[in-house]
Amino acid sequence: MTRMYDEIVAVTENRPLTGGHFLLSLRAPRQAQATRPGQFAMVRLLGRSDVLLRRPMSVYDVSPTTRPPRAAGKRGANAHRQPEILQLLYKIVGRGTRLMAELRPGDSVGLAAPLGHGFFAEEYLEEARRADEVLLVTGGIGIAALLLPARELATAGIKSRLFFGGRTRADLVGVQDFESSVAGITLATEDGSKGHRGYVTEPLANYLERHRGRKFLLMVCGPWGMLRASAELAKRHGHACLVSMENRMGCGLGVCLGCSIRVEGTGHGAYERVCTEGPVFNAEHVIWAREEIPKI
Amino acid sequence: MAAPIAERERTPAGTEFNPQIGVEISGIHFANPVLTASGTFGYGQEFARLIDLNQLGGIVVKGISAEPMEGNPPPRIYETEAGMLNAIGLQNVGARRFVEEKLPFLRGLRTRTIVNVFGYTTEDYVRAIEILNDGSGIDAYELNISCPNTRAGGMVYGNDPRLTAEVVAASKRAARRPLWVKLSPNVTDITELARAAESAGADALTLVNTFVGMAIDIETRTPRVSNVTAGLSGPAIKPVALRMVYQTARAVRVPVIGIGGIASAEDALEFIIAGASAVQIGTANFYAPDTALRVVEGIRAWCRSKRLNLSDVVGSIKIPPSAASPVS
Repeated sequence: MTRMYDEIVAVTENRPLTGGHFLLSLRAPRQAQATRPGQFAMVRLLGRSDVLLRRPMSVYDVSPTTRPPRAAGKRGANAHRQPEILQLLYKIVGRGTRLMAELRPGDSVGLAAPLGHGFFAEEYLEEARRADEVLLVTGGIGIAALLLPARELATAGIKSRLFFGGRTRADLVGVQDFESSVAGITLATEDGSKGHRGYVTEPLANYLERHRGRKFLLMVCGPWGMLRASAELAKRHGHACLVSMENRMGCGLGVCLGCSIRVEGTGHGAYERVCTEGPVFNAEHVIWAREEIPKI
Repeated sequence: MAAPIAERERTPAGTEFNPQIGVEISGIHFANPVLTASGTFGYGQEFARLIDLNQLGGIVVKGISAEPMEGNPPPRIYETEAGMLNAIGLQNVGARRFVEEKLPFLRGLRTRTIVNVFGYTTEDYVRAIEILNDGSGIDAYELNISCPNTRAGGMVYGNDPRLTAEVVAASKRAARRPLWVKLSPNVTDITELARAAESAGADALTLVNTFVGMAIDIETRTPRVSNVTAGLSGPAIKPVALRMVYQTARAVRVPVIGIGGIASAEDALEFIIAGASAVQIGTANFYAPDTALRVVEGIRAWCRSKRLNLSDVVGSIKIPPSAASPVS
């Protein structure tokens, strides 16, 4: 397991995007450098005793400092290549995220990261190597978990394709960040304001149908219904499917057992912790029949 | 022997005073009075990468039953104002696996290990204790009596003085280690349960466990937690927990360990002044894992500045003679 760092870090930017989404940039070199695709962070708002718990958020991106490298000295020129900034893409959904939206450059937050097993944990690597193409499937804020995997796949020379759905076009944030890493992008909105009108799993189903005989690996992050639908499609067509699960979390550290989901066939009992055994699971192990995870 | 308080208070300011903040509870010496609460600190190991566990007074591990338990379906938790609701359902690895897999790590620490124990019948408690008796490295047991007794029609042990006395007496007979009893706050008069536990042989009392609460999603009109009701913890409960510790400390002779929303040394000192010999940190571990260590340092610094040892502070609350009845 990679090293985790729990520190107070500085906000460098909190950029509003469309549809109540924000991109929060934190100066957190140690966390940024340790993060693997699909891992997450716990963010704590400081100085508030009414909002206690840290919020789990996918690490959207890590990037070198936005400052230009110092002109003089070899050291400065090299240092800027190491990621120093960790970015979180979030949407205002409740009290915690509403307060996060008020953060300004220079403010501080608590950051524990990286956490959990990502998409390229040892047990999933084989599936990625065997696939002709990786399909990145996501709905809404689930997009936040897929940028780093898309980049990693591109670097490894594995072809990937993005299927991204939202309620309306304002939900489709970050699409441009994927353009250089994926072979194709399919968008869908429930109101038809952009791309296919309906759920993103519909064009996904068509794509799988059109390319029978090819070997895909699905990497999915989004709402419970979309995860389940994607898992069913993958199973029907005989493709491997990795799902990044979301749940309320008390600690993110594996002790409160608040984020457990029902699984089978993992050898670890009936429940596994999203924060520790996840957030990425093999879809075959997740019990989808019971709608146990409601709107968070 | 430490110098009497009056004498130390006359010592000129600036003279170094090193307060003694160790405490003895049920025959066990704790290097400091700060423990981590059951269910908020796993089996200790999970926090080893975050803090120096040897600086803690003690670790109370996640509740252990004779057999492993699955726990409740999700959602299991929900955040509320200054607190959180949980209904985990006592998911645990069972006493045998705990002894084999979790205890060896704890044994390697200098800090004290207290094992929280629960069951659904008196026999369950006894069986769990008998298995744990064979494990080495456990300093004491903490009996969680907030579970419903399935045989007594779901009546919660901790709500009934007679059931409390029964399970405490049977556990005490089985236990080869000191027995602490963790009391539920969901009662009318906590001192009645405290006295029942003490009479039945409890060597110390821990209070309080969580308050039963609930939250509802008004869009779907469904409970926020699958168990419908859930235990409330966090700073929201602190004043009520403090009142119960204060009342109980005056009603029993055995040491009282205070718990309920403690997030700072100041919070902990309130409990100690009210009569707690030690404190436990619970929910704060989730969002600030270094809380217990900050509380230890804060207590030490406060004692130094007041030139008091911890033993001078326990129960040192000053009630003005004109004050109304403390139990209103």
